[in-house]
Amino acid sequence: MTAEAPYQATPRRKLVVKPSTVPDKVFFGIATAAAYSAIVITSAILIFLVLRAWPAFESQGLLNFIFGSGWDTSLDPIVLHIGPMLWGSFLVATIGVIFAVPMAISIAYFIEFIAPKALAKSATILVDLLAAIPSVVIGLWGVSLFSTVAAGWAQELNSVLGWLPLFSNNAGNFLRSPFIAGLVVAVMIVPIIASITREIFSQMDQEIIKASLALGGNRESTFRKVILPTAAGGVVGGVLLGLGRALGETVAIFFVLNLVYDDFNFYQILEPKGGAVASLILAKFGEATPAEIAGLMAAGVVLFVATLIINAIASYIVAKAQPWRN
Amino acid sequence: MEKLIDLSPVERPANAQPWAKIQPRLKGVIALSSVLPAVIALAFLLISGNEFMGVLFTVFLPLQILAGGFAGFYGFGRRGILDGLLLVVTYFFATFVLVLLVSVLWSVIENGGKAISPHFFYQNNVYVDPTAPLEIGGVGHAIIGSFLIVGLATVITVPLGIATAVYITETQGKSRGLIRSLLQAMSGLPSVVAGLFIYALLIASGITQYAGFAGSLALIPLMLPTVSRVAEEALRLVPKELRNGALALGAPAWRAFLQVTLPAASSGIVTAVLLGVARVIGETAPLILTTFSANNTNLNIFEGGMSTLPTYLYNYVTMGFDTSLQRAWGAALVILILVGVLFAAARFATRSTPAPKAKKRK
Amino acid sequence: MSAQFHLSSENVNVWFGERHVLKDVSLQFPTNQVTALIGPSGCGKSTFIRTLNRMHELIPGAGFGGKVLLDGQDIYEESVDPVNVRIKIGMVFQKPNPFPTMSIKENVLSGLKLSGRKNDNPAELVETSLRRASIWNEVKDRLNEPALSLSGGQQQRLCIARGLAMDPEVLLMDEPCSALDPGSTRRIEETILELKDSMTIVIVTHNMQQAQRVADQTAFFLSEDGNPGHVVEFGPTDDVFNKPIDSRTNDYVNGHFG
Repeated sequence: MTAEAPYQATPRRKLVVKPSTVPDKVFFGIATAAAYSAIVITSAILIFLVLRAWPAFESQGLLNFIFGSGWDTSLDPIVLHIGPMLWGSFLVATIGVIFAVPMAISIAYFIEFIAPKALAKSATILVDLLAAIPSVVIGLWGVSLFSTVAAGWAQELNSVLGWLPLFSNNAGNFLRSPFIAGLVVAVMIVPIIASITREIFSQMDQEIIKASLALGGNRESTFRKVILPTAAGGVVGGVLLGLGRALGETVAIFFVLNLVYDDFNFYQILEPKGGAVASLILAKFGEATPAEIAGLMAAGVVLFVATLIINAIASYIVAKAQPWRN
Repeated sequence: MEKLIDLSPVERPANAQPWAKIQPRLKGVIALSSVLPAVIALAFLLISGNEFMGVLFTVFLPLQILAGGFAGFYGFGRRGILDGLLLVVTYFFATFVLVLLVSVLWSVIENGGKAISPHFFYQNNVYVDPTAPLEIGGVGHAIIGSFLIVGLATVITVPLGIATAVYITETQGKSRGLIRSLLQAMSGLPSVVAGLFIYALLIASGITQYAGFAGSLALIPLMLPTVSRVAEEALRLVPKELRNGALALGAPAWRAFLQVTLPAASSGIVTAVLLGVARVIGETAPLILTTFSANNTNLNIFEGGMSTLPTYLYNYVTMGFDTSLQRAWGAALVILILVGVLFAAARFATRSTPAPKAKKRK
Repeated sequence: MSAQFHLSSENVNVWFGERHVLKDVSLQFPTNQVTALIGPSGCGKSTFIRTLNRMHELIPGAGFGGKVLLDGQDIYEESVDPVNVRIKIGMVFQKPNPFPTMSIKENVLSGLKLSGRKNDNPAELVETSLRRASIWNEVKDRLNEPALSLSGGQQQRLCIARGLAMDPEVLLMDEPCSALDPGSTRRIEETILELKDSMTIVIVTHNMQQAQRVADQTAFFLSEDGNPGHVVEFGPTDDVFNKPIDSRTNDYVNGHFG
């Protein structure tokens, strides 16, 4: 047997889809340019904001700016700290999410698994429509109609559970508190979370629900042990989306919350003092001095970075929570 | 066994659902447990005169939970308790939220309706004092302003968004993943920060004064992710066979796209545009930071103050007068009508194409 | 007469909305025997098998008439809890459907958790069930891994183990092997033959050779000219395939159609 040379496959050619004719090149070129504009826009936003914000970061110190309290342009040196505002943003957003999530999941479950077809269809359209109501309209409803009602609830809550620091109130007045702002935010994000959750429920593999029922599961055990765990990743993604929206909420919170820049309100949600970074920007913008503008830019940068981090966490959780999706 | 059996179909009898028959006693228990807690709570409410919400949560809800659990237990034993509870909680929350949301909708319609009249739609507010009665003045100028500013933003964003979607779906570009992530990040941009950006770029640097087009530019990063994402999905839904068929016939990529893919995805693209517009039509904060409000009708988007519906609303709320608040409600209703029309149009556009349910199965 | 049979159906009729899809199906399933339901696609075999464990009623617009008797009692009676029926009569589906969020072990025990039953020795139950489904040796070292890491054939055997963990009296199998390769199919057929000593099995199958390999008796379903499906012939497998009485049965089992 003659020794055979080891088998060598013909060299592998790389197949590339490349535009060859001029019109095609133009076509692809336009598409590429447009897509790269996304890169341009995002970088431009960060660059210009940081550029304009830099003086504020420099004069206040980064950590002081983010975590300190007090916003006073009459002092010398000028004090620009967003600590209470940043905490307030998260506090209000959290209250909103805590109220919104159980209600949103209930509606989604009701529409997908309980309601008869006709009712489900109308309810879906209603929820999707409500998700499109601009927040400024909800802010209007919040400040002129809802605030007094919610203040009444806050008063009840305080009279019964006021011994808890969470529900204490020393001002005697219950309007313009994080509690009310949180409820208004909740009203805003319930349709969003409900819409996403309902979509996830409807796209679930029916086979495993049938498997659960065939094994002797009833409605509740199927929901708790099969439907929720399988949908969990997507639902968390939807919740974080709502959270991001709540953090960026500007006008509605501005209408219903009393912004206090010098003091942190950590947990006394019935007190009429709170904060929100976006509303700070809106409030101070009109008559801001140049140095103050730099501070507002800096606040915008911090807010944007915070939402970016939350979105990244959301994507991570959604990917991790569904290891079987590979 | 070849006996001649009658094989023809028989009409469905009336009692073809034996599982729907519930034992009469269980039926009674269910009926009782649905009605009794409400009756008791109502009685409590009327007698004690306590506040509605308090009674709802501290009397009605616990009673209903107990009743639901009991009905479940009565019918199905221990297992049934949680079943009953789940139903009670779901019905309660779902109803609560729907009522709340519908009341928001209703209050806009009711209050806005008081301010609305034909002239409200086309008059502007020149020479109209904030405390003036509602017979004069309107949001005509704001409607035009919204139309111009959102229109300019749309004209810029839609081609950009569709072209980006084309890049993601048609080319094999290496940056596709990066672009998608960036668009995702852009969708999280707080609207006020978008306004700050344009302010920093154009106004604070002195390139321009507050003007309508600055507002349009601020709306672009808010619209782009939506338009691009929905357009991308619409393009993806077009079956690959169509495109491949065109390519196999010798069509260049651009022809295949323009003459085959795009028409097939047209309803989805229209939806993308409509949803993008609906998203930004109510945006307030970016416009406050980049435009000047005005009472007159200004058609020059590059110069001068220009009011839009959301900024009109904002201004009239912050003024604080009763009449100005009513005008704000009117503006809110106009916005709602516009959003409703856009929504109906989007649904109409997608109605003709059967949307395939994307089954994410491996 | 019906008390002699473990499971039987009397004049079962099925409607979907107004459409009559199954007419007067009366079959008897003796204890510890395997019965195969064969017939061309769309003749109602899968629909019929779903009436046996009250899964049929979950379809919107479903209509039903007749009786299904388990140990002499009609499972469609008012007082009967469908969940109890499904605990006693298990089901394996055409497409393997293990729960994606659970590990192999958790999947086996999932039936207990879902029906609210307790077990003192879960580890033992897991091993027993996986052994009975002929998959223990392949997974004994990776019980905590996600169920979806198994191949298709293994997933189906896992679903069988999951059903067996409930200790059912009857096991219904709706074309359990149609999505699997021949090797897995063979394993599952062997499992069926081992299982029939402890339970009664009803299997819907497209594969006539499979019916001849595993079934003691066979029912041939047919629906012609838009009429509802019905049972053309029912008897010992040997007779149905080798000495069919009806000419239509003869045509089908000899591959002339279907």
